[in-house]
Amino acid sequence: MQDLKASKKRMSQTQAAWLLLAPFLLTYGLFLVYPFFRGFWISLHDWNLLAVAFNPDAKEFIGLRNYERVMWGRNIEWGFASPFWQGLGVLGLAASAYLRRVDRLSRFNAIALGVASLLLVVLPGFHPGEEGRWYDRRFWPTVGNTLLFVALAVPGVTISALFLAAALNGETRAMGVLRTLFFLSQVLSVTVVTLIWQIMFSPRQGLIANITETFGGIPINWLTDEQFAMAAIVIATIWWSLGIAMILFLAGLQDISKDIYEAAALDNAKGVKAFWFVTLPNLQRTITLVVVLQIILHFQVFGQSHLMTQGGPNDTTQVLVRYIYQTGFRDSELGRASAMAVFLFVIMGTFSVIQFIIGREKE
Amino acid sequence: MKHVLLSAAAAATITTGAFAQEITLGRFFGACEDAGTDTTVSTGEACIIQSIINAADAELDGISINTLPTDWGNYYDQIKAAYAGGTPPDVHVMHRHRIPEFAGLGALAEISGDLEAAGIDPNDWSPAALDAVSFNGGIYGVPMDFHANLWHVNMDVMEEAGLVENGQPVLPSSPEELLAHAQQVKDATGKDYLAADFAQFPIGVRLVLALMWQQNANIFTEDGTATINTEAGKNAVTAITQLFDASLANPQLNYADSQQAFLNGEAAILVNGTWVVDFYTAEAAKEEVGLDNYYVADFPTLFETGATWADSHMWAIPSTLEGDKKMAALKVLAFINDHNIDWARTGHMAVRTSVVESEAYTSLPHRDEYTGTAAIAKDTPPSERYGAIQDVLNRELQAIWLTGKPVEDALSDAELEVQDLLDR
Repeated sequence: MQDLKASKKRMSQTQAAWLLLAPFLLTYGLFLVYPFFRGFWISLHDWNLLAVAFNPDAKEFIGLRNYERVMWGRNIEWGFASPFWQGLGVLGLAASAYLRRVDRLSRFNAIALGVASLLLVVLPGFHPGEEGRWYDRRFWPTVGNTLLFVALAVPGVTISALFLAAALNGETRAMGVLRTLFFLSQVLSVTVVTLIWQIMFSPRQGLIANITETFGGIPINWLTDEQFAMAAIVIATIWWSLGIAMILFLAGLQDISKDIYEAAALDNAKGVKAFWFVTLPNLQRTITLVVVLQIILHFQVFGQSHLMTQGGPNDTTQVLVRYIYQTGFRDSELGRASAMAVFLFVIMGTFSVIQFIIGREKE
Repeated sequence: MKHVLLSAAAAATITTGAFAQEITLGRFFGACEDAGTDTTVSTGEACIIQSIINAADAELDGISINTLPTDWGNYYDQIKAAYAGGTPPDVHVMHRHRIPEFAGLGALAEISGDLEAAGIDPNDWSPAALDAVSFNGGIYGVPMDFHANLWHVNMDVMEEAGLVENGQPVLPSSPEELLAHAQQVKDATGKDYLAADFAQFPIGVRLVLALMWQQNANIFTEDGTATINTEAGKNAVTAITQLFDASLANPQLNYADSQQAFLNGEAAILVNGTWVVDFYTAEAAKEEVGLDNYYVADFPTLFETGATWADSHMWAIPSTLEGDKKMAALKVLAFINDHNIDWARTGHMAVRTSVVESEAYTSLPHRDEYTGTAAIAKDTPPSERYGAIQDVLNRELQAIWLTGKPVEDALSDAELEVQDLLDR
């Protein structure tokens, strides 16, 4: 009798759990899982946005050809063309396997070394054969631009937010006001942020140009000069994304016990020393979280490039999401755009896995 | 009693316009908050078109118009997405060069049989205007204008450089003369000869296209062969780059900055379209603006034949629109067609013969200064890939003048990419 009661209770608990989960699962399935599989399905077709809208039979199943056209080239060959770099890669692979085996490398570091070595083996091996060229000359440079943007924006946001949080980690009213002020940029839309920075960077009426001229300098055409365009969108992004990272660091800082600082002070570790030897080690998990979140966020950069530089000059600020958008909507090639989106998903998935591995190792 | 109440309710519904057809309208040209309904006084593309739309909304019985919020830069992406999602605007503006893409895939309504009922007389359209909205033998829109690249001239700077004769600017007739004039302006005034958006908006592309057409060449043939890396292509690009090489023009200006440079009186010539003639006229009249003596000239002929880049704005309705809604949409098109003279105030060339021949049109400011433009207006052959092709050219030309990529490499790369697009 008691077993029956317990079983009924368990069942009603399970039902309640499903009931509570249902809205989330439904929304998640409808807006994330379904679009992902639909996108993958589209990526296997020659799919013109307008043509298929007016004639569903206008699409053609082409398997992986969109992936080939995006990532591969015409008559591109692979071989051991750069013995030095490829040899180095093979050595790296062997070293990572050996060092992991003898427990001299953590699993994460072994994986990182292995992936880097593999890239050394694979990448220098590509070379154009006779009349060889990329099918899509813009894809890999666009991936490169996105990586460069991430490589500049992520440390920029992380370091600035960390120092800002450390500086504003007080309990006075002024600190509170300053924290709010620095967080405010985060709530602005990308349109407003880019408009503000377009005015700031204008070589005619911009604040930066005015300051430059005051000191006798020549104003820079930030948004149309290939040397400065990427820096311009990175600066705007750092200003915009600082707030949330700063709040995360503040939360991390407030978790560090004052006792540790007091103990460190007894060992004469104050100021910069305390920051280096106490604050940073205790913030390691927060730093990791911020970095991974920023990487995932900034791989999806779109608005800054689209609105400030239109991907120019000469594609120097063309980023992956903008290229996907243009391919899908301007060129109407939804199949090819979806293939690129799947590629972006793989990159972001890789970083999420890395975050998962790091999280597990720390535990 | 019941009947009386029902009749009263029906009468109230009719008089308050509860049965009005709501027409959604998509357009670019920018925003204008206080356009009003007086179509005869507004200035600039955005305010003139919005005043016409507002007037249509106020004057057309049983029709209310809802102008959708659209953005210039993403306009066609938004319209395409709306078509793909099955919710296109009932009426929308577009360029002539987009007809092959939209009409070719079945998105636009063929309206030749509906024009008369809507009160539109296609016989009043100039032959070129009719051609602009025609595709595969059908009519897919109501034309609104021809627009083309012009040379906007600061006569004071030209005068100072000795480049004014009989009250008219002396314009170059060869690439060598272009360089000589530019040097003359620099020596006499210290200012740049020519400004244009070479860095973002494809004004530079249109300039190079015009110079190729002037050599009877084109970027691709009717049968779909890219012909960019040619002697004509190199000549066209070099005619421009020689100015940058000699520091007589700045390739890094975008649309806003090049316009500001011209209005500040920092450049003798601005290459821009017909759409800014009334705006610059109004600006030149202001005391605080550096441009005082404004003149508009036809694009000069630097090679054998006269040619300038041109296109056409037109209004279209989706093929899915039917019944009363379609008739209401056609009435909106008819209203816009009736107000062709108001739209021509922007500086654009009118499409209706009755308007072009009217006193009101010929007496518009500066109109007599660019009468030759209609005869030299040209465009690329029709292509569904027009947007992507223009983007390739813009990128490669930017690579030449902003990053120093060798002309031959850039033209060769552009040719490969355009051929890829044409082959798809």
